[in-house]
Amino acid sequence: MSYQKPIPLKTQDNQPYWDAADRHELVLQKCETCNSYNHPPGPACSKCGSTELSWESQGSAITGTIYSYVVSYRPFLPGFQDDLPTIIVVVQLDNLKEVKIIGNVLACPPEEVKIGMPVKMTWQDITEDRALPQWIQA
Amino acid sequence: MATIKDRYAIVGVGESERSKNSGRTPLHLALDAARAALKDAGLEAREIDGFMSYSENDSCTSHQLATYLGARPKYVKDIMGGGSSTEMLIADAIGLIETGQVNTVLIYRAMNGRSGVRMGGGGWDVNMLQGAMDGGSFFIPYGAGGPGQWFGLFATRHMQQTGLTHEHLGHVCVSFYEHAQRNPKAFFYGKPLSMEEYLKTPSLSYPFNKHDFCLESDEANAIIVTSAEKAKDCKSRPVYIMGIEARRTVSHAHYWTNLDEVASDFVAPSLYKKAGVTPQDIQVASIYDCFSWVVLRQLEAYGFAARGEVGDFVASGNLKMGGKLPTNTAGGMLSEGYTHGMNNVLEIVRQIRHEYKGTDRQVENCEIGICTGWSGPDIAGAMILRN
Repeated sequence: MSYQKPIPLKTQDNQPYWDAADRHELVLQKCETCNSYNHPPGPACSKCGSTELSWESQGSAITGTIYSYVVSYRPFLPGFQDDLPTIIVVVQLDNLKEVKIIGNVLACPPEEVKIGMPVKMTWQDITEDRALPQWIQA
Repeated sequence: MATIKDRYAIVGVGESERSKNSGRTPLHLALDAARAALKDAGLEAREIDGFMSYSENDSCTSHQLATYLGARPKYVKDIMGGGSSTEMLIADAIGLIETGQVNTVLIYRAMNGRSGVRMGGGGWDVNMLQGAMDGGSFFIPYGAGGPGQWFGLFATRHMQQTGLTHEHLGHVCVSFYEHAQRNPKAFFYGKPLSMEEYLKTPSLSYPFNKHDFCLESDEANAIIVTSAEKAKDCKSRPVYIMGIEARRTVSHAHYWTNLDEVASDFVAPSLYKKAGVTPQDIQVASIYDCFSWVVLRQLEAYGFAARGEVGDFVASGNLKMGGKLPTNTAGGMLSEGYTHGMNNVLEIVRQIRHEYKGTDRQVENCEIGICTGWSGPDIAGAMILRN
């Protein structure tokens, strides 16, 4: 069955991130002026406004801890009705604590999710050529 | 720079009928609210030379409203906005009056928030959402498509950090629902909420259950702002603006990562400085309440309780009538109705005028009140008003 949920839209500003995700790799936008990481990425640095931006690969072994979460018992978007409840998390990266990434924790009972829980990134192949960064318990 | 303290006033407030299915256009609702506010102020439509509104593309225009009131204003302005926009537009109106461009401004919010475009989501095109929201591609694909989830992500972290419990959220709901029982126009009039019932209600988007969410309603509200000088000619008792402060932007409204930095934290100090008062001087409050938790975070930001003590503050009944800070005394957006913040403005104006004098709805001897708007960590507006 085809994938029913929203597929990340590639745009001028985020294409390198999603292209890397399709290769099961995490890349982050970095500001060359103030050295901060920009996530989600944008047309300029959200901290200082600089347009001196580059993309830095973080590889494929990404770990983090849950910074915050919600457990959603209702599908607020199409495609989510079949796997409720949905655990939506903000993950703080272990190696780059300033970077936080929103995703789902897969295959996790809702009563187990808690702030501080260690997780690792996994890539869910959602179409023939697209993959979605996700998280599982570490 | 001129100080605006006490030099501008809200002189009229009015609302349309409130329902879940108005069967009428936002323009009709806006006309009802505007006529009610004009009547309240004792003004004619032709005396209004500025019309302003905010919407999420779900309303009529200021031009239309003015047209069908038979007014020919100098100035119309429609912005995209939500919570905090009322305060921002009042600040704009003051600037226009101060510089002599207009004399009197009517600000409104009209929406079929239940039967028309619903904030609570559903029916939106997901690709449109990804494009319309900053960083949308980084949360929409994960199912984070509604305010309950965005605010929930913020709340869970803040609750864990400060020791706030689910029951503390419940105290906000129970307090506001209690107020709604004295307000026959409130949606949940006749539907009180006990803590027991709150606690046994299943989660919709943990940490929130349905009581933590604001209502969706079809409704319009309007307020009229003018100079203190012109206010003397109005029929109503003016409510003076002691200070107003709006918007401080932090990055990424829907991709919230710094929980220690919400816009209200930046608005509060300059607001109190402008008004020349402290939180201890405030006797009544309207605190933006799209979700119960948002009230708690703002009580912290505006200095009504220290970080970590907000839960005790609400558990002690301080938001109720007779408490230290009776808040959202018509029921708020959680239980009265929802016009993206404006119904809370109407209520605080009525409290400060002592319009409910002699009834159990009146906060005794309230002279100074605060009204806050918030639509996320990135935008806040607030004002302090006096009799």
